[in-house]
Formats: sequence, C-alpha cells, structure tokens
Amino acid sequence: MILIMRTDNDAYARKRIQHPLGNVGGVSLKTIFLMKLILFLTVVFSFSAFADVSAQKVNLRVQHTSFKSVVQQVQRQTGYSFIIKDQLFKQAKPVTLDIQNRDVLDVLPLLFEGQPFGYTVNGKIVSATALMGKTSSVTDTRPTAVLVDQQSIQGRVVNEHGEPLIGATITVLDGNGKSSGIIATTANDGTFTINANSGDKLMVSYIAYFTQTVSVGQERPLTIVLKEDDNLIEQVVVTGYTDYLRGKSASAASQVNAKDINGVPMSSLDQILQGKVPGMSVVSSSGQPGQSASVVIRGIGSVNGTTTPLYVMDGIPIEGGYFQTINQEDIETVNVLKDASAKALYGSRGSNGVIVITTKKGKKGRLSVNYSSQYGFSTLTQPTFEMMDARERLRFEEEVGLETGRDIGPGWRLSPKNPDYATQSTAWQQNAGHVLDSLRNVNTDWRDLFFQNGRFMEQQLSLSGGNDNVQTYNALSLWNEDGIVKETGLNRYSLRSNTNINYGKFTAGINLNLGYSDSKFTYNEGGTGVGSPMASVYYALPYEYPYTADGAFHATDEDMPFYDTREGSRGIDVLYGTSDKTEQFKTILGLNMAYEIMDGLKVTTRAGIDFRNSSDQVFINPLSYIGQNQSGKKGSFGEGYRRNFNLVSTSGITYNKTIEKHEFEVSGFFEYLQNNYRAFSYRGYGLDDRLPENPNAITVSGDFLPSLSGSRSSSALMSYMGIGRYTYNNKYTATASYRYDGASLSSVPTKNRWHGFYSFGAAWDAKQEDFLKENDFIPVLRLRASYGQTASPIGSAFVHLPLFTVGTTYGGQQAIRPSNLVNPDYDWEYVNEFNVGFDLSLFNTQRIKLVADWYNKETINMFLDQTPSATAGGGSGGTIPLSTGKMGNKGIEFSLSGDIIQNEDFNWNIGINGAYNQNKILRVSDVTDELPDGDTRIIKVGLPYGTYYGPQWAGVDPENGDALYYNRDGSITNVYNSEEQSVPLSSNMYPKFTGGISTSARWKDLTLSALFSFVSDVQRWNNIDFYIETERYMTSNQSKRMLYDRWKKPGDEAILQRIDIPRNYTSKDIQDASFMRLRNLQLNYSIPTAWFGFGKSFFKTANIYVQGQNLLTWTTWRGLDPENNRQYGRFEYPNARKYTAGINVNF
Amino acid sequence: MNIKKIWVLCSFAGLVLQSCDQLDLSPTDSIDATKAFRNLEDVNMGVLGAYAPMASTLIEVSAIVSDETMLPTENTVSNTAAHRWIYDSSAGSVTSAFYEYYVTIDRANLVLEAIPNIPTNASTQNLMDQYKGELLALRAYCHFELLRAYASSYEPDGMGVPYMKKHEAIYPARPTVQSNFDDINADLKAAKELIPDGFSDNIRITKTAVAAIQARVALYEKKWDDAITCASEVIDEEPLAPKNDFGKIWTDESESEVVWKLARVAGDSRIGAAFFRETGGIVLYAPAFKLIDAYGSTTQRTDDVRFSSYIKHDPARGAGGTKSAYLVNKYATGIVPNAPGLTSVKLFRTGEMYLIRAEATLEKDNGTAGITAANKDLSDLRMARLYNYVHVPVSDKQSLLNAIYNERFKELAFEGHRFFDLKRRNLPVERRAEDAINTSGALKLESTAAQYCFPIPAAEMKVNKNMDQNPHYGDQ
Repeated sequence: MILIMRTDNDAYARKRIQHPLGNVGGVSLKTIFLMKLILFLTVVFSFSAFADVSAQKVNLRVQHTSFKSVVQQVQRQTGYSFIIKDQLFKQAKPVTLDIQNRDVLDVLPLLFEGQPFGYTVNGKIVSATALMGKTSSVTDTRPTAVLVDQQSIQGRVVNEHGEPLIGATITVLDGNGKSSGIIATTANDGTFTINANSGDKLMVSYIAYFTQTVSVGQERPLTIVLKEDDNLIEQVVVTGYTDYLRGKSASAASQVNAKDINGVPMSSLDQILQGKVPGMSVVSSSGQPGQSASVVIRGIGSVNGTTTPLYVMDGIPIEGGYFQTINQEDIETVNVLKDASAKALYGSRGSNGVIVITTKKGKKGRLSVNYSSQYGFSTLTQPTFEMMDARERLRFEEEVGLETGRDIGPGWRLSPKNPDYATQSTAWQQNAGHVLDSLRNVNTDWRDLFFQNGRFMEQQLSLSGGNDNVQTYNALSLWNEDGIVKETGLNRYSLRSNTNINYGKFTAGINLNLGYSDSKFTYNEGGTGVGSPMASVYYALPYEYPYTADGAFHATDEDMPFYDTREGSRGIDVLYGTSDKTEQFKTILGLNMAYEIMDGLKVTTRAGIDFRNSSDQVFINPLSYIGQNQSGKKGSFGEGYRRNFNLVSTSGITYNKTIEKHEFEVSGFFEYLQNNYRAFSYRGYGLDDRLPENPNAITVSGDFLPSLSGSRSSSALMSYMGIGRYTYNNKYTATASYRYDGASLSSVPTKNRWHGFYSFGAAWDAKQEDFLKENDFIPVLRLRASYGQTASPIGSAFVHLPLFTVGTTYGGQQAIRPSNLVNPDYDWEYVNEFNVGFDLSLFNTQRIKLVADWYNKETINMFLDQTPSATAGGGSGGTIPLSTGKMGNKGIEFSLSGDIIQNEDFNWNIGINGAYNQNKILRVSDVTDELPDGDTRIIKVGLPYGTYYGPQWAGVDPENGDALYYNRDGSITNVYNSEEQSVPLSSNMYPKFTGGISTSARWKDLTLSALFSFVSDVQRWNNIDFYIETERYMTSNQSKRMLYDRWKKPGDEAILQRIDIPRNYTSKDIQDASFMRLRNLQLNYSIPTAWFGFGKSFFKTANIYVQGQNLLTWTTWRGLDPENNRQYGRFEYPNARKYTAGINVNF
Repeated sequence: MNIKKIWVLCSFAGLVLQSCDQLDLSPTDSIDATKAFRNLEDVNMGVLGAYAPMASTLIEVSAIVSDETMLPTENTVSNTAAHRWIYDSSAGSVTSAFYEYYVTIDRANLVLEAIPNIPTNASTQNLMDQYKGELLALRAYCHFELLRAYASSYEPDGMGVPYMKKHEAIYPARPTVQSNFDDINADLKAAKELIPDGFSDNIRITKTAVAAIQARVALYEKKWDDAITCASEVIDEEPLAPKNDFGKIWTDESESEVVWKLARVAGDSRIGAAFFRETGGIVLYAPAFKLIDAYGSTTQRTDDVRFSSYIKHDPARGAGGTKSAYLVNKYATGIVPNAPGLTSVKLFRTGEMYLIRAEATLEKDNGTAGITAANKDLSDLRMARLYNYVHVPVSDKQSLLNAIYNERFKELAFEGHRFFDLKRRNLPVERRAEDAINTSGALKLESTAAQYCFPIPAAEMKVNKNMDQNPHYGDQ
C-alpha cells in the first residue's frame, strides 16, 4: 500500500513521461506496476499498430431529416457519442446536408448550424449545450476547459465511486438561477475550470446521471459527486450477442449495477444478487463461506434437468456454482435475461434464464487507482428452538424416570424419587446429591465450543485508465473470512485484467480472471450421526464438558466413567480431528475481436476458456478417536482432483442499416462449445502421525488397501444462429431469433441431435408517439411482448445410451452388468415461454418507475424418472429416464421505485421488487399421474412441483397423550400408517412469492441504505425436531419443549405426545419457512477530500462505511435457518450475521 | 487489404470451419453397448453378471413366514410384519424378491441377445453353448422362484408371473401358471441340450443342476414321471453326502451332494445375518420349537447329523430367560475368516432329490410298488442322515406322504421350502403357542388368507395397469 501511495505522490508531482505508445494522456510513470500486470497482453497485441490514428470521416446525404436520426448516423459512422437531452431534440430543426468523406470535427459546425443550441466536444463526446445567445465553443481532445480566466474555479466531477466523469457539462447560474451562458466540460480526469463569482451556482449535468446544482463556496478544489440515474443506465439490454436500446428490445431483462454488488461482504456472487432481481429466487445452500446459492428464475422449470441459469461472463459461459474465486468488486453489471426473446439466443442452454455478467473495463483518462478495504466479524444467529440447560435436563431425566421407569441419565439414576434410591447406603445417597449438584453447575453451552465469531478482511486494489486506443482495468484482491463454525473459512486471491483496444475499424478486448481460493469445511455438515459436529452441538448434554479438570480430553468414557453420553465430546473430537479442504484454481480468459469491413457491416469473433481445478483433501487424524475407528485404526487421508474445462468460440457477422425511418440489424453467428471434465481421487489408511496431512503417511497393506476412483467425460455443442431486428421510426420494433443447436451424444441420441430454437418479440416505445412526446408527466412508456422456445441441458450424461459397467463380481470373479435402464427416445426438455410487460416512469425526473411483466412458461418433454415395471430388470427403485412430463410456471413480477424526497441535502428513495409464481405439474407419463419425489414429496398432476406428502397430524389426545393422525377418510386414529394415511399436503418447498425492498437515504455526505429480502409461501421439512423431540433419542439432549410442552397428565392440551409414544413423520414436520431478512444495512460517509489537505486532488474520493449483513430475520421457522435450499432443515451450517467496516479511496 | 485484415479474417474463418465430428463424443466412464459383449470372455463376464444379483431373500422370507422359526423376545429391532402375517403390497420384506429375480432375468436376456452377434468357431462353440445353456436355465429358475412366491396358486389356471424372454421395458399382464410352466420347461430343455457334460462348477448351473431344477419344477407341476426321471438323474450323478461330511457342507468345507450353490466371498451379503445380528448379538429368528421337536428325543437329535448342523443349542445363553437358547446354525460360519454368517447359498442338494422322487413315486403309483419305492427313498435318505437308524416301512399312502413332508421339514429346514411346500398342498401354516409368544396371535395362516400368497409390490401395481394383484389384498 505504501508503495502505491509513493508512486501516486510521484504522479501528483506530475513527473510524467512520454509513453512509448504515443500520447497516453494521464497514464503516468507509475505504470511499472501496471506493466507487470499487463505484460502478457503486450505479447498478444502489437501496440505499435496503433501509431497511426486515422481521422474519423463522415459521409452524409440527408434531406430534411430529423436532427436525431442524423446524429445517430454520425454516431454510428464515427464512434463519437452525443449527449443531447430529449427536450433539445424536440426543439431541433430538420437537417439537410450532403457531405462526402469529411472529418467529423468539420462536420459538427454544419450539423449544429441553425439549431437552437450549441455544443462542446471533449474527446469523442459531443454534448449539446443551451445556446443562450452565445456561440458554440469547441475544445480539442486534450484536457482543457473553455472560458478560462484568472479567477477561475477548479473542480472535479465524479460518480459515487469516485470515478471521474469525462465530458460532464458545468453551467454557471446567476443569482436568479438563470444560465449565465458560461459553460465548461470536464476533462479526462474529471476536472474542470470555470470562472464564476462567489454566490453563483453551478449546474452540473451528465448523461445517465441526475443533474445537480451546487453553490460556489470557499472550498477549493470543488468536488461534485453525481448520482447515477439507474433507469437511464439500464437503457441498453445486454444479451451477450446483441445490445439493443431498451425501447427497441422486446426482452424482459433486469440489471444490477456495480454499486449494488461491490462492497457486499459475501463471497459468492449469486448470493449477493438475492432480493435484487424480480423473479429471481436466490436461496443459500449453506452458511459456509463461499458456498453458492440455489438460483431459480421464474419458478423451477425442471424436475430432473438443470434448474440453474446459465452464467455468461464477458461473453464466456462459466460454470454456475463456482464463484468462490470471482471478486465481486470487478463486476460492472449483471443482466438477468428472463424471457424467451433473450434466452432463445442461448438455445438449448437458455431455458432457465441467463445471467450476463460484465466486468469493469478501463476508461479513457488518467490512471485511476482505487483502494478499498474492509474488516469485520460474523456471529451466529439464534435458532428459534432452545435446548435444555443442565438443570432442566436433570429434571427431564427424573420426570421420564417417574413416568416410564426409563433410565436416560443421572437425573433419574441418582434421584431420591427413584425407587432404588431408598435401597442404597447413606454414603451413596450423599454422593448422589453431590454429583447432581456438580452436574447442575457444569451447564455447558455447546455453541461456545463449536461456534466462534469469525473474522473477516478484504483488500482490493485496482488500477484503470487508458488513452483513445487502449484502455485497461487491473485489479488485485485478497479476501480472508473465517466461518462461524470453528475450523472453517475461505481465503481468496484474485486478479482481474481487462484490456480493450480500438484502432479505427478494428476493436479487440482481452479479459482475464485468475483466482485461487482455499476453503475449509466442517466434516459431514447436515449429518445426523453422533460425532457430526453440527449435530453434536444439539445432542450434547449440558452437564457434559469435553475436558476434565486436569485439561485432558475424553472423546468416550472408555478410560473414565462419565455421567453423560460424550456426544458433545465426540463432536469436538471430529471438529479438531478431521479436516476437509478444497483449493480451487480458476481461470476465465476471453478474447474478442471485431472488424468493420464496411459501413454497418462488422465481423466479430470471440474465444474463451473457463478452467477450474479443484483439489479436495480430507484428513482424519490418526490420533483422534474418529481416526482410531477408521479402517486400519490409524486415521485416513484422501485427496482428489476435479478439473473442468470449458471452451467456447463464437464468430459472427452483423449488419445494420438505416434507411429513412427503417432501421435493420441482422446477425449471424456460429458457435462451438466444448466441455471436458476429469476427476481423480484416492483415500489411504494407516497414517503415520508424524506426517500429518500428507500422502506419504499412508500405509499400503493388504488389509486396508487405499481406494481409487476417477472419472472423465466430455460434451460439445455446435450452433448456428441468426438474429434480426427491425425498428420503424424508433417506435415499433420486431425481433426474431433462430438458433440451430447440435449436441454431442452425452445429451441426446443422435436421431434427436439437431434442434432449432426460436423467438419472436415486439416492442413499442410509446413515448415516441406524438401524443406522448410532449408529455412531461410520462417520460417513459414502453411495452413489449415475446414468445419463444428454449431448452435445458440434460442433468446427467449419456442416460439415453445403454451402458455397462464391470463394477460387479460373482464368486470373486469380475463380471459385467448393465448400469442403467434406457429410454432410446430421449429428447430435449423444451420450454415455451410467453411474456408481456411494460416500463413506465412518471414525473419529469422519473421519480416513480415501474417495470412489470407477466409470463407463462411451459416445460414440455420434461425429464422425469419413471419407475418401470419390475420386469424391466431395473431392480427395486430402478428408474427409466423419460421425457414425457409437462409443467407450467406462470407469474407476474414487478419492480417499483420512487424518489420520495429529492433535494440538495436530503434524498430518500425506496424500491420494491417482487414476483409471484404459480407452478403446476400438467402431465407425468403415459402410465401414471403421480410419482414419489424422495421420501416426503410427491409429483402429481394438478399440484405444484415440490409438494410435500405425508400423514396429517391431528394433535395430541388430551385424555391419554396419544399422538393422533388423520386417516384418508378424515377419521382420527392413534395408529400411524404412512402408506395408508399419506396425502399431498398443501405445502411446497419452492416459494411462490419472493422479492426485495431497498431503500437509501442521503443527508449531505452521509448515506444510509438498507436491503430487505423476503421469501413467502414456502414450507420446508424441519427434520431437526425429529431428533431433538423424540423418545427414540432421548438420551441425547432435547429441546425445552420436551420438558415443558409434552403431555403429562389427562387434560393437558400439549404440543408433544406422551413421552413413550414414538414420534413419526407427519404434516407437523412441514413448517412455514417464509422469512423476511434485513440482508444489508449500510451507513456510508463520503469524506470531503479537502479535509486531507493534500491539495486539490490527492484523493479523488474517499468513503468510509459500516455495514451489517443478515442483521434481523423475521420468521416462524423453528429450525436453524429458514434460508436453505434443501428440502429439509437438518443441522446445516446456518448463515451468519456479519458486521464490517471499510474504506474506499480513489486516487 | 492489409495484414491486419487478413489476420482477422483468417482467424474468423478458422473458427467457423470446425468439423462436425466434434459432436461424436462417446461415453468414457462406462462401457457402451457396442463394446459390452465382443467375445467369449465378455460373454462369460456377462453370465457371471447375471449370477451376481442372485440373493437368498426368498430363503429367508420363507423361513420367517413359515413355522420353521419363532420370534424371540430379544428381537426388538426387526420389522416383524412378515412373521406376523400382516404384510401388504408395500412390505419390502415379501416384495423385494419380485424385483431381484427380474434383474437376473434381464441380465440373462441381454447376454442371450448379444450371443448371436459374437463369432464362434468349432473350438469355442462348446463354451458358447454352455454360456447360453446356463443363461436359459438361470432365466427358467428365476421365473420358477417368482412363480413359487407370487403365483396365486400352483394350479394350471392360477395367475402366474410375467415371463420375460427378452430385454425390454414393457408393462406385461400375468399369464397363467400353466403358461409359466411351459416356458420354464422349454428353457430348461434347451439348456440341458446346450450345457456340456464335463462342466462341473457347482457355483454355476451344470447339466446336473438343470436336472435338479427340472425335478423340482415337475414336483410343483405334478408331472410325476418327469420328477422321478430328473431326480434320479441327479441322484445318479451326485450321491448323498457321507454322515461325516454333512456338517461340513454348511461351513463350505465340503462340496458333497451340493448340486448348485450361490458363491459367496468376503464382502458379499451374509445369509446368516437374517437369523442373527452381530451388532448387539441379537437372535432375530430362532428355530421353532415345532421344528426342534420334529427331530425327536434328545438321543434322536444326537443321532441326526442334521440337527447339530442346523440348530445350535446354547443353554447358557438362554439362562437369563430373555434370550433364546436355540439359534439357527445352518449359516453361522463359512470359510472366510472374521465373517460370521457368510456362507454360500445352497440351492440344490441330492437330499431334496430323494424326497422329490419319493413323493412323485407315491403320487404316481399308490399301489404296493409305489409305496415300496417311496419307502426305499425315505429310508435311504434317513440312513445317510441318522446314526443307528432302522427303517420301519409305512404302508399307508397318507401316512407315508406325511412322513415325506415331515422329512422335508427336517431335511430342508431354512432352505426356503417349508412355506411353499405347504402352499403346494393348500395346507395352513400352523404355529405352536410357544412359537407364537411374540406374534400378537399369529398362530395359523389359512390358505384363504391374502398373505398365503406374497403380494405383487405396490410400486408395480401403481405403474403397471396390466398387472393383477393376488386375491384378497386390498380387501381390508
């Protein structure tokens, strides 16, 4: 860090050197560091190729054509950007011009001649300015400002992240709030100089940002922070193949921007997106740091196929579920494509939606260095159930003894109420009293022994900048996070390097992500056995303590008698005696190039890889108790490698043309994707304890041979696609796409190999119509509709081929057997989807914005595992993969946001998004209408997928404490018969209503923001109750309800049955898992840079903040954490509450 | 066009022109069907693969539902529905065999379908014939086992089980028992012609084993002549074990009179675990007192080599009153060290052949000649099993039949026959009161009860609309 500051001081001293590549503007000599980062890039590209910058020539022949359409043509021909407000366009006069091959800077005066406004040029940005009687001014591409004089005010315009805004317009307003006509634009580093008097006001405006007015005070230099106008930023729908303006796109797509992603202290990108995208449900799979979430867009679309969306990063499809090494600070935007018109571009992989991730790119201007850092800690959230403490437990044992005669512990064994007590000697009785007293005083809270406050630290440094031809963004980050379970955590190191070059008609970009992560897991998470640490926390008796007074640890009572069951100690033994680690190396590398062959005709090519190598290691210490129970009695050591390699290559050609009011864009692409996977693992026994966690410790002996396993597979997809768009008069747009996918044998039989996927869309930008054009109250109104077909990939490979394995023996001889039942007609799983929606904004500053969509999605040919007749030879539980099912998902989704208070010092906005989805199974197969789905659920026509199935609980009989169940005919019985009593329960494991609420309030430099996420109408099987409220496992600790809320005497209206009645699975185990969570609360302070006293711009911006994750959760769920994607809650790793404080400075 | 343009266009062209062969990626982790059976060795592996899933389920179930065993008080860990005759179509204990045998049948069919495509020559034809014969016999045997367990009766018009002659996923209906017998006999006949004489590996189906299967099938089909012929064939080929060797059969130390057995090696499932659970040392099912008493007085039990081989008496164990003093000894130890309960599963022995022949002879001819011949077989068998035995001929047909049945009870205890022997003659299963102390009153199972036939599995009934359930299931 110090090194960087020193180099930046050098930069501040403006000791600039000439870059060998020509004029690189603000890029200075601190590039030694930068050069190292991008060294390999220079190997790929010949930078010398950019020495001759060709002039931007314009050809125009227009007759009385709208100013806007002419500007668009110039924009397309030159790559210059125009910043012109809609109001100005309305005032613009039609243009007549005939220009052949002239430089753009010569054309601009002609274009603006006679218009009621002027313009400024900065770099390649042309901003329209109100004329106010003054002549237009032109600045060249070097950072200078207009109208500089001796008493000028210097300042800088930046965005909320401290990044300079280039080409922002600053207008001096006089005391009456009228423009004085003095105008300036910002340079490449965001700075400007303008002359104004004290007491004047400066109005600062910039495209896609809210205009801000500031008073000219005493502070020098003046830093003006502009706030992004999200609605304008989202104006482009990025699909990975096309970039259409929102008004010309039929797609239902949502965008999440950097400011909602960066700085969130969660190590998996998918988790960060929770509550931010309407219609996208994000539910974590575990609280383990770095674990991915289950992401479902618009309702679960498949039973046996894939349900996760396709992730595409900078054009390269990447694996879902492996975000451990991806640094969220590098992400600029995430576009979530939800409807067919966008998804169909991805054909057979798109049906679950597509998440298009765009990383940050370098921006033209002087080098910008950003440093951010945050520290914090995480804590355990409290479950809604409570275990008995020592006093309660001993009382419980005594009660059980009295009621049933069962001896479940010393509370009864030593109790004076025990009939045996009287038969004992006085000495024994006295001792019993002392023992009970001392046990009562032990009172261990086992959570203290298994959980911890996890430390958290993140450091990130990025450098970005560039000149007209080369822009680069480079970042390094470091992430250290301890889990809340002891001995767990995640360390991450990542490097991101993005470089873009544009050289006339040739543009290219190279994007690289290198990451390494190192995760430590807890052994057997979710396991219910004694010794699984996460279960032992609750099984352990409160009067047990793992260490004796002399500090010795006892995992069992073998060498010393204990009154407890040692279940907690067994867990402690496993916690420290085992380790489960995964190291992950990930590389995502993409290269894209485009060349404009002629006006409007562009060829593009893109190639990329997503490479992951995970190495897993499981070690069981030979000195631990669990180690002595391994084969060979001396621990075990296992290691495995999993390598996944995806290769993609996309090439295409795009042509666009505008003829009068007709705008066409057509593209053709060819794409090839390949996946290679290989894995290898071994596990050995008989470890030498002098070589911990090392393969050399393994003993290879005939009695306990190491085990070996491995796997390798590959698949490929070849596609041809065509995409077209036609827009008439900027109002009406029609889009269509067709993708012809050919999949390799692993997916479908050869006869079904090739299939076409299509979509049609229509969009109407109603705002462009005459009746709305002048309406200030409705600045945005767009309508869209689309229909199309996509497919989803097959869950497991080669299931349609009859396969054999040699994994069987008879009489010790190797044999061969079939390994699957086959459906030779296996076909793709198709999803047809219809979508209609609209975007609406109200008031001229778009204070209220509403986006709403309705969709109807039907999965046909759905993959289901059908139990065949026994005669097919699949054995009990054998299944045939069918593609015969049908399932519907329909729903609405919306996002509504509003600026409640908008003024200079105080801003308050609130946004809510939500989605309601209704799922229904429409068909199962030719032979049945229902299939069992695991132990506790059913797939049945007419019911939603994920419906729980089991006997109905009828409560506890107040007379005798019996457990009561409903028979199917509605009568009540005390006899449990799952087969005869099970019915579909009106409970479902997939939520119907999901969403989020975000709000942000800014007062001067302080911003308080909050994000709530909610999941409603969802039930889950709470399997923890089964273990902590049951006579079967009463020797382990039980919940307080077992003491206080069970039936004890006739007349008791109890929750739990009589103590000796077995506990069975019923509807009462399916519990409401709806929740609302305060996902994030953040208080941010933007430090006025003047405080640092380093002169005008040592820091461009500096922010300090504190934030909390998962601070509050509202739920009635009785288990550990309502947010978990498993169908049951069972001793999982709960999500943590996290507090962090951080800084973010930009130099 | 300058160099840059050429570079761009070349790379573009290179990426577009990919070969379509890229999509022909075959499975790498599994063997695909084209490579599964290429030669004789592969076929042999396929045959072994068909034997591999053969289990002892029906042997165990037959013992548990019949009057051979009793439920001791110490067994608090088993699902006792089968023993108490309260099973229905979702009870895995009595329905799992329905799935198991079709697995073997399907594997046999797969290999049978592959065989015609494998080239053979004069020197290999013999071996190929043997494999084919084994598979046909195995297919017949498995269907016969299914028939024994799941047919609604053994009469020709009873509901049989679907006979699978090829590998396919269909939803078949139930043919008649007669149709089953015809298919079984056809397969066995073909098998017998194919399997060479010299082949004598008794963990696989030899020609003698086919004869043994034929004899048993003929007994159920009441084709007395065939039963006599085939049983004689086996008896001639494989004499009864000497008394000294008899006990060693059960510990796998002797192959004497074992016509066909399922091989069991370290790591395989343990048949003995059905009767005794190592963890906790629990006797799950003990020999019924009815059976114990069938061996006669203490002296007679000492003289009978079968008693000590089948039943272990441990008075010390039973002293406490809660644990059973008698244990099933038949499958307690094998030759694999440290693997209690792991022994090979004896499917056909010569002893059974004597009893088949005796019964068939008597049924065929209840005149003097028949009675004499039947007496001789019974006597020969007893002479081989009992020390100090003196035969007293039984001259009355019914008495002789009862004696044969009683002998079957003793000779074939825990070998999977008792329940079906009763069913063959529509006799109820009757337990003694002392054997039914823990069965909540399951004393007598009438032949009219649903549970007298095992039910077709509920899962099968659910998916296979053509399948009919056995009588009386679902009545309650």
